[in-house]
Amino acid sequence: MRYLTALLALLVSFGGHAADTQRPQFTFTAIPDQNEAELVRRFQQVADYLSGELGVEVRYIPVKSYPAAITAFRNNQVQLAWFGGLSGVQARRAVPGSEAIAQGYEDQFFKSYFIAHGSTGIEPADTLPQAVAGRTFTFGSKGSTSGRLMPEFHIRETFGESPGEVFSRVGFSGDHSRTIALVQSGAFEVGAVNYAVWDKAVASGEVDTDQVSVIWTTPEYADYQWTVRGDIDAQFGDGFKKKLTAALLAIDDRAILDSFPRSKFVPADNDDYRAIQQTAESIGLLSDF
Amino acid sequence: MAVLLELRDCRLAYPSDRKNQPDRLALAVDELTLREGDRVALLGRSGAGKSTLLRHLRDGLADSASWCPQQAALVPQLKVFHNIFAGALERHSGFANLKNLLLPSPRFREEIATLAQPLGIRELLWTKAEELSGGQKQRVAIARALYQRKPVLLADEPVSALDRRQGRDILDLLSRRHGTSVIAMHNASLALEVCNRVIGLGDQRVLFDSPVDQLDPDTIERLYR
Amino acid sequence: MTGFWGQARSLRKLTFWFAAIAAACLAFADIDITTRSPGHELWRMATGLVTPRIDDPQQWLDAVITTLTFSLQGVVLAAALGFVLAVFYRRAWVRILAAALRSVHEVFWALIFIQVFGISTLAGVLAILLPFSGTLAKVYGEQLEEIDPAPARAVQSGDRQSVSHFFYTRLPLALYAMRHYTAYRMECAIRSSVVLGFIGLPTLGFHLETALRTGDYGAASALLFTLLALVYSLRFWFRAGLLWLLVPAAFIVRPISANWSAANLAQFLRDCIPAPLRHDWPLEKTGRWLAWLGEQVASGAWNTALLAQIALVLTGLFALLASTLNSSHFVSGMARRTGDGFLLVLRSLPEYLLNFVGLIILGPSMLPAIIALTLHNGAIIGHLLGRHSDEIEPPAIPTGPLGRFAYHYVPTLYQRFLAYCFYRWEIIIRETAMLGILGIPTLGFYIDSAFQFLRFDVALILIGVSAGMTMGADFISQRLRRNLRMEAF
Repeated sequence: MRYLTALLALLVSFGGHAADTQRPQFTFTAIPDQNEAELVRRFQQVADYLSGELGVEVRYIPVKSYPAAITAFRNNQVQLAWFGGLSGVQARRAVPGSEAIAQGYEDQFFKSYFIAHGSTGIEPADTLPQAVAGRTFTFGSKGSTSGRLMPEFHIRETFGESPGEVFSRVGFSGDHSRTIALVQSGAFEVGAVNYAVWDKAVASGEVDTDQVSVIWTTPEYADYQWTVRGDIDAQFGDGFKKKLTAALLAIDDRAILDSFPRSKFVPADNDDYRAIQQTAESIGLLSDF
Repeated sequence: MAVLLELRDCRLAYPSDRKNQPDRLALAVDELTLREGDRVALLGRSGAGKSTLLRHLRDGLADSASWCPQQAALVPQLKVFHNIFAGALERHSGFANLKNLLLPSPRFREEIATLAQPLGIRELLWTKAEELSGGQKQRVAIARALYQRKPVLLADEPVSALDRRQGRDILDLLSRRHGTSVIAMHNASLALEVCNRVIGLGDQRVLFDSPVDQLDPDTIERLYR
Repeated sequence: MTGFWGQARSLRKLTFWFAAIAAACLAFADIDITTRSPGHELWRMATGLVTPRIDDPQQWLDAVITTLTFSLQGVVLAAALGFVLAVFYRRAWVRILAAALRSVHEVFWALIFIQVFGISTLAGVLAILLPFSGTLAKVYGEQLEEIDPAPARAVQSGDRQSVSHFFYTRLPLALYAMRHYTAYRMECAIRSSVVLGFIGLPTLGFHLETALRTGDYGAASALLFTLLALVYSLRFWFRAGLLWLLVPAAFIVRPISANWSAANLAQFLRDCIPAPLRHDWPLEKTGRWLAWLGEQVASGAWNTALLAQIALVLTGLFALLASTLNSSHFVSGMARRTGDGFLLVLRSLPEYLLNFVGLIILGPSMLPAIIALTLHNGAIIGHLLGRHSDEIEPPAIPTGPLGRFAYHYVPTLYQRFLAYCFYRWEIIIRETAMLGILGIPTLGFYIDSAFQFLRFDVALILIGVSAGMTMGADFISQRLRRNLRMEAF
């Protein structure tokens, strides 16, 4: 009985702890495009930095999927989010008045890699190799810019057909890390992946480059960005958006920047993503039929 | 004497468990009248239609009859006390019933203890029904019928599992507590001791229906031949 | 015994047709093996399995507590709601309501509730509560229908039902079976609670999904062992005596709360109106939308049916063989405990996990999903069937195990076995639809895509189709069970 009482007391103390975190506060999230532990590490640093700069408590909440990030943003559970190109467009359509305020320097010139399993014998080339046709192929997440939207756009450009018609089988791995793992194991022969995630994985030795290698690099496009809700000044006081934008652009801590990895953050606006939106509409992802 | 129930040209069927199966005739009754003060013994071989007739009478008498079925039909998981109490659920409010299930009230304990005393099951009130012997179960079923406190008793072989002396005492008790009774029995001599009217059933019909004092022993004899 | 095939001609015919349909489905199904070099990944999995690792004990404890509270709260509330529904289970609308509630998979419920209530305890508990109450209503209802009616008839004439009569003459007769089944549902709830983590609720599954996705198999293995331990330990703590303490504790530790706002709800409800009606599209555009939707419905439903029928028959086969591991006719003592433990492990592993491992080994076809469904469901039926076999007499003439299996075990248990399979049929369809979330093109794939692009109207329509298929299977299996007079509980 004594143990039970002690256990109950312990549980109650947890309950109290949980209740404490329920107060309204400035919260942000990010699309889960890779290893979650890494995301948590990265964005916890950002949260600490922003808390110091803005003078309010800033919290990062991890989510499981791209739509979960968009939904959290739309439902005002988060006021700021690190979106990909496509998810940012979706989010800004869902929350009128919201704005892209900053992007990484590299995000202005983002690209995707097509990677292939060694056994396919496909050689790297300057255009998307015709030899990928008829192979099995995996995208990343269904809503990813670098893992779905741009690769699909270029596949359609090259072959004039939908991916389902070009490849013998099309899958969605869920995220970039898993795309690499699936192509490496040969479960899929070809895949499309975010170049930054690939480069980092290669650098850290997680990729067996004998098994899997890059066969084509897409042209550049604009990708990741910080997007903020339009009503943020009303929620946190006049000038908050300005202060937030300035704080994001002023990040110069190498540890934070390297974790993205980005060299610095630069201003962005909604127009920077007009091309992404048009691409998404042209391949039917955002089309109104 | 006031008439409680009259049956005329009734053809009673066995209850069939399947819808599309034709009913089998169990008993044809041309005429049968039940009056207040009747103590009827239903006699006949098994399968003669005694249970069928009792069930029909029960439907006809609805709320004025206590019922004591052939198999004790107790709830095995409940205590004897609650099985007896279940006889009179209509008499109390739903709330009182539920409360009594979890927390037996002193009033009902008293009532049922008094009732159980003459049946010799007072010590068993807090035993689960599944732990009882056949004879004990039958006495609990009788107590449950008594607790219904209705003017008419309908009972199907209520003392079949008891010895003759015990059976007699209990039938006496049942008769005293109910103004009118219809009891199916297999023991003809016991029937003659406690009843004032005998109905003999056989060949799916009523063979005879007469007051005990006008009955010829041969008639009963023929019933079982 | 000679009469078995004679008396059970209809059972034999039924089996033949189901097997024939499954074989036909197999011809259409995509079951290629396409991997090239799974060795590397498999080696990492094996190493991970034997080196379980918990990086962050605080986070781990938090996830364990959330997993337990979600399942406990869900089951307790579902038992209450299911009980109320079961009392009125004779009424057609109650049956339909219960069937509708359980025809939608927990994961789909959760996807809906997360939209409305955010990542919150309310969303998680509701996602377990609703389908579970539908299942419990059905099982409680049938358990109450199958009790001996004599005690009830002894104290009341006619068909009148009152609450008091119910509690005195019907409930006590079914209570033992109901409690037993509720304990089993608690085991299911822990599993469901973990699976809900895969789509973002903060249970063990949240971290398990991350670990698997990123290939951190050491962490995955620790979480897996935690899940097995939770399921195994149920028998020690899921007891009436302790529940008086545990249930209030669960509600204190994780009070039911939600990030709810009327505006979000209104927005969500608006989004649920089919797009052509919402935007008042011209007819031609509506036509294009309908064609697009129709293609998804057709492809999703076709693949779901295909995969589910194959999985159903293979589940049956596997269950029949696996049940011997938990049957007194074949094993005893230590061997039996090991056998049942093996089945417990198999049925505790979420299909998601089995499917994921299968994907690495076999490549992306329907095969991993078929194997995952077969192992998981087969282990459940095998466990129940084995336990039930203890009630049948050993054969009069002793023979070897093979003879015993073919001439005694299978014939005497066959009816019960089919009843279990039919019970499982609707569940297999529901799970097949759900597994689409992982990539095979069943309904879940299109449902996930619809959520991905915030097309809630489409998602709801597709969930409706999946629910319709589940209810269809439920209806057919009920008719078959009634015609063949099978009883499962």
